[in-house]
Amino acid sequence: MFKDRKNLFNLGLLGIFIWLLITSYSSSKRKPESVGELLKDFSWLSDWPKWLDLPLMPLINKMFKSLNENYGFIFEAINNVLLAMLMGLKNFLVQAPWPLVIIGVVILAYYASGKKIKTTVAVGFCTFFIGFLHPRFWDKAIETTSIMIISIFLCLVIGVPIGIWMSRANKVREKILPILDLMQTIPAFVYLIPGIMLFGLGAVPAIIATFIYAVPPLVRLTDLGIRLVDTEVTEAADAFGASNKQKLWGVQIPLALPNIMQGINQCTMMALSMVVIASMIGTRGLGDEVLLGLQQLNVGRAAEAGIAIVLLAIVLDRITQSYGETLQERNSPTKKEKK
Amino acid sequence: MKFLKKLFLSAFFVSSLLATSANAGDCKARLGDFDWSSANIHTAISAFILEKGYGCEVSVTKGSTTPIMAAHYDGQLDVITEVWYDNIIANYEPYVANGTIKNIGVNTPDSQQAFYVDKTTADKYNLKSVEDMKDPKIAALFKDPENPSKGRMTSCISGWTCYTVNLVKQKEYGLDAFYTNFDPGSGGALDAAIAGAFAKKKPIFTYYWAPTGLMGKVDLVRLTEPKWSEKCWADMSAVVEKIKAEGPEAYTKSCASEYRDMALTKSVLTKWADAHPEETKFLSQYSIPTATVNRMLAYYEDESDGDMELTAKEYLKSETAWTSWVPADVASKVKAAL
Repeated sequence: MFKDRKNLFNLGLLGIFIWLLITSYSSSKRKPESVGELLKDFSWLSDWPKWLDLPLMPLINKMFKSLNENYGFIFEAINNVLLAMLMGLKNFLVQAPWPLVIIGVVILAYYASGKKIKTTVAVGFCTFFIGFLHPRFWDKAIETTSIMIISIFLCLVIGVPIGIWMSRANKVREKILPILDLMQTIPAFVYLIPGIMLFGLGAVPAIIATFIYAVPPLVRLTDLGIRLVDTEVTEAADAFGASNKQKLWGVQIPLALPNIMQGINQCTMMALSMVVIASMIGTRGLGDEVLLGLQQLNVGRAAEAGIAIVLLAIVLDRITQSYGETLQERNSPTKKEKK
Repeated sequence: MKFLKKLFLSAFFVSSLLATSANAGDCKARLGDFDWSSANIHTAISAFILEKGYGCEVSVTKGSTTPIMAAHYDGQLDVITEVWYDNIIANYEPYVANGTIKNIGVNTPDSQQAFYVDKTTADKYNLKSVEDMKDPKIAALFKDPENPSKGRMTSCISGWTCYTVNLVKQKEYGLDAFYTNFDPGSGGALDAAIAGAFAKKKPIFTYYWAPTGLMGKVDLVRLTEPKWSEKCWADMSAVVEKIKAEGPEAYTKSCASEYRDMALTKSVLTKWADAHPEETKFLSQYSIPTATVNRMLAYYEDESDGDMELTAKEYLKSETAWTSWVPADVASKVKAAL
């Protein structure tokens, strides 16, 4: 019975393939006058024939056009929400005096790293050097950071629950993994240009693009982290009669936190690498300095901006990474024995 | 979509290069191409004629204005089929003077670049000139979401000279108090921003140019500006070059006028022209009117499935003007290749 169903499914796939071939052929503008010609003249076997062409492009264009015309208001709403969040954050940080911002970053680094002086000092200096490289970079770095913080916030809100869901159901995992692969490999420009048409030029399509690019590692590592939690520990939780919910929040998530933090760290790094690409759709920030340097053949300008991006990466990496390490130390059994 | 088109396009150039390298003669032509469609079409048509008609080995390099022109001045690219001459006079002329390159005439006699507003908004608020735009109520229609106190003028790409020209124009016209000079980042993004505004029926105030495929599809109204004058333009170009070198702080009060409805020119290396007199003669006669270019661009975007070679072939099939640029034997070779 099962085998029959599988055969039927494969037969269905074959049917769809043949249907695609026929519709492609009949809708092609460059097909020969009659099918008979194909049997007389076999030249189409040497080069890929022009009529053997799946008409995917016009189909996508048509769908996209109707999406834009009929459901534009949904994207408008998303746009307004994200933009309001972004502008609020950005204006707050830009208007705050720069020494206060640096002190804020230093305090954050101090507590995130578990009061390690070395990391804190390094982070403080890196932050200072962003503005020190060129005064113009300070506001641009803040703009870049604001875009990233909003993107990472989106990643957390959407990515972590999906990761948890995946770790609890194999069927879900099977379906989501290929989607994550797709998100990681499809070239960014493919979704950047429709992003502009839906959201307009500027920061919002960049946030969406950054989200698409940066969320997969977070989902993967959340899933992995929960799966890696010792079965003995979860069994012990079961033995004490913990409900699924209690087990998740009390045992699995706390133990998976170092891995989740690693995911957030990876997510941050990947988000930063989108910065230059996003500048090609009019996103303000450090990326547009690099782009301008490239377009004006100004090596110094591009290098200066590139270094500023690296510094920003170091700051964000140190803060998230050291927070992960702090969590790991807190969770490791050896530490607990000492206490 | 634009990216896909470019991908197809470059794949086609690579393949055509491979296909012809076997039977090419001693003629080699390195063409420089840009990241906008009208340049692509001229490059595709001339590449086709050079390759099939003259048996040249053609290679095409694509990029944005500054790097491609720098490579041309440096002698790395032989032919540029579309030069936005007026925008780059100041750095182009010295190389003509020292004999590195030659200006070989016009490729599109009646192209234009200007500031545009979508027709619906222009009619509703009776917007005809840049002066009409200087009104906070009008600026609010084009509100820049990232800088809500001003309107957004979608401008040119920051690496292109027109970005700085627009910056100076805005200051001279007093538009800078009302509008941002918004850099869309890339040519594809500018097109997408205009197309997106029309799809959503939202007002748009933008810099744009013709011939383009998009210009044939959307209804943009050109805003009038002070009349073009040679003296004024030269003064402005000097300020523009200064800003490009030293940053926007280098702005000094000068003058501004409309972009001249200008002739897009072609440019060749003098060395290459001396070695290839026949091919140069063809290139200097090459010229296609804006209306035809717009039509070919619309064909490229809507019917060719983004296939520039097919578009070039369509041009060569449907038009006859080109046969007068080349000797009869070359014309028949090209026709045979179709």
